[in-house]
Amino acid sequence: MQLTDSPKLFTTMWAIGTILFILVAGYILASVAKFVIRQQGGSRTLQEKTFLGYFFASPWILGFFIFVLGPSLMSLYWSFTNYRISEPIVWVGLKNYSDLMQDNRFITSMFNSLYMTVIGVPLQLAAGLGMAMLLNQKIRGQTAFRAIFYMPVLLASSTAVLFTWRLMLNPNNGVINTIFRWFNETPLYYLNASFIFLTELTSALLVALQIRNFTIVERILSNGFPGPERVPLWLGSEGLAFLWNKPSVVVIMMWSAGAMMIIYLAALSGVPQSLYEAAEVDGAGPWKRFRHITLPMIAPATFYNLIIGMIATLQIFEPAVTLVRDGGQNQSLYFAAYYLWRATFRFNQIGYGAAMSWVLLIIVLMMTFVQFKLSNRWVYYESE
Amino acid sequence: MSKKLYFLMITLLVALLAACNTPAEQPAPAAPTETETQTETQPEAEAPASSAEQVNLRVMLVDYIPDVTDVWLEQEVVPAFQEEYPNVNVEFVYVNWGTLDETIQGYFAAGNGADIINLGSEYVAEYGDRLAPLNAQMAEWGELDQFVPATLDTVTWDGEVRGLPWLTAPRAVMCRTDTLTELGFDGAPTTFDEMIAVAEAGTIIENNALVRQGFMADGLLNNWQEYLNIMNSLGAPLYKEDGRPNFDSPEAKAALEFMNARRAAIMPSDTIAGLPEASGSRLATGEVVCRWGNLWGAPATDDPLWENISLSAGFTDGTGEATVQVFNDWLAIPAYSQNQAEAVAFLQFLGSAENMNAYNEQFGSFPPRTDAWFGYVDNPIMQEMGRLMNEQGVGFADVRETAQLRDILVAEIDAYFSGLQDVDTALENINSQYEAVLRDAGRID
Repeated sequence: MQLTDSPKLFTTMWAIGTILFILVAGYILASVAKFVIRQQGGSRTLQEKTFLGYFFASPWILGFFIFVLGPSLMSLYWSFTNYRISEPIVWVGLKNYSDLMQDNRFITSMFNSLYMTVIGVPLQLAAGLGMAMLLNQKIRGQTAFRAIFYMPVLLASSTAVLFTWRLMLNPNNGVINTIFRWFNETPLYYLNASFIFLTELTSALLVALQIRNFTIVERILSNGFPGPERVPLWLGSEGLAFLWNKPSVVVIMMWSAGAMMIIYLAALSGVPQSLYEAAEVDGAGPWKRFRHITLPMIAPATFYNLIIGMIATLQIFEPAVTLVRDGGQNQSLYFAAYYLWRATFRFNQIGYGAAMSWVLLIIVLMMTFVQFKLSNRWVYYESE
Repeated sequence: MSKKLYFLMITLLVALLAACNTPAEQPAPAAPTETETQTETQPEAEAPASSAEQVNLRVMLVDYIPDVTDVWLEQEVVPAFQEEYPNVNVEFVYVNWGTLDETIQGYFAAGNGADIINLGSEYVAEYGDRLAPLNAQMAEWGELDQFVPATLDTVTWDGEVRGLPWLTAPRAVMCRTDTLTELGFDGAPTTFDEMIAVAEAGTIIENNALVRQGFMADGLLNNWQEYLNIMNSLGAPLYKEDGRPNFDSPEAKAALEFMNARRAAIMPSDTIAGLPEASGSRLATGEVVCRWGNLWGAPATDDPLWENISLSAGFTDGTGEATVQVFNDWLAIPAYSQNQAEAVAFLQFLGSAENMNAYNEQFGSFPPRTDAWFGYVDNPIMQEMGRLMNEQGVGFADVRETAQLRDILVAEIDAYFSGLQDVDTALENINSQYEAVLRDAGRID
């Protein structure tokens, strides 16, 4: 009987083998560390401590080399090949990278991420800050309110919640459009209409820039200012309804801004009360106090939230598979992470997917670098 | 150092003792049976392992109905199979469509994995030669002629059968005849012009929202599949003789223009809200007049409502014969499998008329073999669907680089339907992008 004929025995032997490997590799690693210390003239106690320290840290160190560094280096290598599973790997140089620059789907995913960065992240920041300001008030049940407002962060990406959003956002009979229709019967309808017009125009402009054809903007303009019968076509799949797919995700992002809220709450609690009291004595109103004290004092939190938020827009995945099908009509929810997954696991193009992941890494690093450079102008650190 | 060695020894001892706590459970060697004695006389390379050799057969299946079909397989099918092959232990690996591709790719990358894998209709072009050729084994079995021809198309590559169809979901047109009569139509539409007329007349818009749609093709996913079906109905193959795509043909253009005209008929303005989220079959609720799809989107086949629902193949421009697109899941044996003979035996056991009928009844799909059309299939609707599938069925097969073609078609058809580009640009883009994909994959020069 072969070992592979018995899954349990096979698994057990693998488990034992893994433990032995970790022990032996850890012992070697720790011995090398100890040897280095000895060469540097370290005391016997320091050598022993170094040995034990590296030995106990070795499972993580080995895990890092095997599961993080190794695959990263392999993906870098594959990005220069045409690797497709079970076919010979052929070196293609920079072809994958140059193909990416001409790949409409990749360009679309970049434009979609750009929309979320320019429109979605600021709105999410505003929602997070707004909630934090509210929850920073000393009211009864403050802790419970904070927990409740944070809960969407835990739920936002779950399939069940996204399906609930799909129902709520149904343009025909969803609860959100029911509210819109109710407002449409009041003089406030102009607010609705302005929102619809601006949202469609903004989305259309981005699409026009992407396809370098402004017919779609002309169509929005020729449709005119929306009448009282119009409602947002959230997550629609016909005609120009695709212009509402990204705004729908923005709404969900705002609802789940609890993580940003927590960061803001921590920052708000660090703003010295004496500053507000002094400003109040000088006659500053609530807006001036917010504008000239709160905002500058919480700038590091805003900076952090901005960086994390921007990176997160490149990683939007669940809405592209749950809210719509196949990334949505006109690939309106085709985000970078989603396309990376499709290229790798649906198109079977491991090399191409690897190249995409390295390009994304470079984009994230560049965005972070630019933000750090710009932060000198608007982020104030108390320690400076 | 002695302390460290002592520590290492203790750790190793604990690890070994922990491992000893879960001894591998091996089925006791079974006594040879009459069947085994017979199989031992078969050629050595093709015969399942003898009783002395315990074989572990891994079967990867999409688990559509957890706790139903899997229970049936494990508690009824496997014990029955083991009566004949007591030396074969069958282990199931259940996946879903979300993880299917990754799982299969992992198997092929490692050259080691399940001995039988569940594939979808369009996969034969993707995995082709990596699946074991089974013509000889199936000829010996002698039951392949019971299968609907279109279902065999989806499992055939390079002239070799690569697996066995497992479940079938044919797609046809279903129309509410009572509504058609109300609207003044004599019967279900069969031509492009008739369909567009029904789509226009059958659509109702109230308060800037759709109340009833003259036609529904179940959204984005079906657009591209129906498009290929209509091209097929017009007699246009997907590829030219040299292997290049055929989307620059007049038929490809006629099919796309028809679909756009039909879409415009049910959605005359950009600003209309679509139908509400479906709550059951839209044919049953009267929200659509006609739809193209499989029976899952229709009322149950024993629903009296079927007296007012027609079933037909599809649409043509009035010249060719409409085709029914036949989708089926199938089971294949990867070429890497070390247990080919046992896998073939299990595949043929699973593929019996009784097993196919039982599985498809639980799942609500169609058995791919005609002699399995008894019991729940003895129903006028199922019989009619079966007839259409048998006579006008075309397998959704030999679609090369399917995943990429799907993305290209969805994007370009959408852009055309949304008015972002004209039909010629759409077709030009489809043809050129798909040609590049085929070239990159080494399928054309």
